[in-house]
Amino acid sequence: MPDPVLKLQAIVKRFGNVTAVDRVDLAIERGEFFALLGPSGSGKTTLLRIIAGLERPDEGRVEIGGREVTRLPPYARHIGMVFQNFLLFPHKTAAENIVFPLRMQRLSRADRDQRLAWAMRLMRLEGLEGRYPNELSGGQQQRVALARGLISRPALLLLDEPLANLDRELRSEMEVEIRRYQKELEIPFVYVTHNQEEALTMSDRIAVMRNGQFEQVGAKTEIYTSPATAFVAGFVGHANRFEARLVELAGDCARIEWKGNSMLVPRPRDADPGAPIQFSIKYEDLEVARAVNGFDPARRNWLSGRLRDVIFKGQTANYIVVLEDGSDIVVSGAPHGLDLRPSDAVVVHWPVTRGACFRI
Amino acid sequence: MSGLKQRRRWLDLTHRGNVRFALLAGPGAVFILIALLFPLLSIVVFSFWRTESYELYADWNLNNYRLLLGEPAYRIFFSRSLITAALVSVGCLLLAWPAAYFIAKHGGRYRLLLVLLLAAPFFTGVILRITGLQGLFGPIGVINMGLGILGMNPVEALMYTPFAAGIGLVYLYVPFIVTAIYLSLVNFNFELLEVAKINGARPWRAFIEITWPLNWIGTVIGLVLVFIPCLASAVTQRFLGGTQATSFGMSLSLQFGETGTWALGSAMGVFLFVSSLLAILAAGRSIDLKRGGFTGRLQE
Repeated sequence: MPDPVLKLQAIVKRFGNVTAVDRVDLAIERGEFFALLGPSGSGKTTLLRIIAGLERPDEGRVEIGGREVTRLPPYARHIGMVFQNFLLFPHKTAAENIVFPLRMQRLSRADRDQRLAWAMRLMRLEGLEGRYPNELSGGQQQRVALARGLISRPALLLLDEPLANLDRELRSEMEVEIRRYQKELEIPFVYVTHNQEEALTMSDRIAVMRNGQFEQVGAKTEIYTSPATAFVAGFVGHANRFEARLVELAGDCARIEWKGNSMLVPRPRDADPGAPIQFSIKYEDLEVARAVNGFDPARRNWLSGRLRDVIFKGQTANYIVVLEDGSDIVVSGAPHGLDLRPSDAVVVHWPVTRGACFRI
Repeated sequence: MSGLKQRRRWLDLTHRGNVRFALLAGPGAVFILIALLFPLLSIVVFSFWRTESYELYADWNLNNYRLLLGEPAYRIFFSRSLITAALVSVGCLLLAWPAAYFIAKHGGRYRLLLVLLLAAPFFTGVILRITGLQGLFGPIGVINMGLGILGMNPVEALMYTPFAAGIGLVYLYVPFIVTAIYLSLVNFNFELLEVAKINGARPWRAFIEITWPLNWIGTVIGLVLVFIPCLASAVTQRFLGGTQATSFGMSLSLQFGETGTWALGSAMGVFLFVSSLLAILAAGRSIDLKRGGFTGRLQE
């Protein structure tokens, strides 16, 4: 394994009685797009500010490019950062904002101009050099901020919810763009977001953060398909959750009982029969059908109910099914092909290998 | 085209909404007209008249201005006032910036209180404040007496010198510039400094690149608030400055008092007014709104 560009060891940061970051370890490699995903207050921004040198950790060690920087100020770390509210210098033009890091590094004017031209082309900002930030649209401002963050080819680019202030359409466009820059430049990005779709779309690896700790760190597909904790299962993707009781363990499976229904689910990591558990299954892992017979109870689970509504979402649709006991369950599937109407009797079914089970 | 536009605008004045606006703005405008413009106009008029034995005579002439520009004494008084005002402004600037910065950045919930405390000297009158300084600097003042008790020589520079007058002026006017810079700094986004540091700027560089230009407008307003009254000031020099500190303002007030040469005094007033106006224009020219980070809409 090559030397990581960023290495965090046992980082702790407290604000009064609150431990914002609680013994976090992390290594990020060259060319990696890493997302820090978590709800607000989970400590992800604090962790990013520690990496930037804007906060000093109470304990632990920060290394960038193999050099210890724990006590170094931000200007000695050679990093870039992009902020949620852009934070362009209002009294400098777009071009002046972008070359600012190069001027601080005392690059010659010729080099500066050359890099500026490169950055303007990369960010598709040609022709806007002389504009002041308040004369640029939100998307243009964000691209100027990105250009400023990238122009000095920093060891690491930190992004703090950079798309949160943009409207939806622009956001999805920028998601693709930012990933393109990252792949082209091979600079590792650390991307803080509370938006799971952003994290899933853009990153290679995700750390899900909660209460100052990492709940799970892994490839995004791993985070999505095999969440390590109930929190991750609930936070990433859209899932139905059942609070059930574990009846027995049988090989890779476990039998649980939920409101009088018996189901086979993947075995929880550490739970004994009789324990309360949470079973979570993503909308798209479920299927809905008209009432049919002939399922093998060792291979599939099913619950019967009545279709309440179909929420059309374009590429998919959410089928909301009311079960016999009155609770709702959501199934995501193709929007057409199923000739179902509200109040039709339906069966929700899924293979026993799907979903994830956690002790609570 | 433009003539038509002007005509329209003039007609708009008779519009109902504009009548209401005129009623609202009217009293203030009339007050300014009476309190500022009429005295100013009368001074301009008097400056071309003649005084003889405490009487004003309306025979038009340029003698007052000839005297003002020709007599070396007035040139000395004026350049003295000009240099004093410039040095006092710089002194105030150097004192005010750190104070204002500290209050804005670290004042926390006390910052409003701290700024209001700047007004504390105004709880007493200006004469009382200057007399207080006299009690501090004078031959039997606290400083020199204290030095005497310790067996040291008194600091002569503090006893009735232009330097003492300068300190007095700094003391009198520093609250204005602190307030102006403070008000600018509370609207300043300190996060921009974090951005500058991440992008490689050391603290001083960040100050010069970001903080200073983005607070230049407030700083200029503060400087004007110090410079203009200093240029005209008389009382401070009279109480603290001794014989070598006679200022333009002192000489001006003499014309209206002891010597009774109102016409010459008026000419001096006009000269001072024009000088102040030029100073303000120069200050205004130093402001480029966009370079000052002004983000509102600029009229084309």
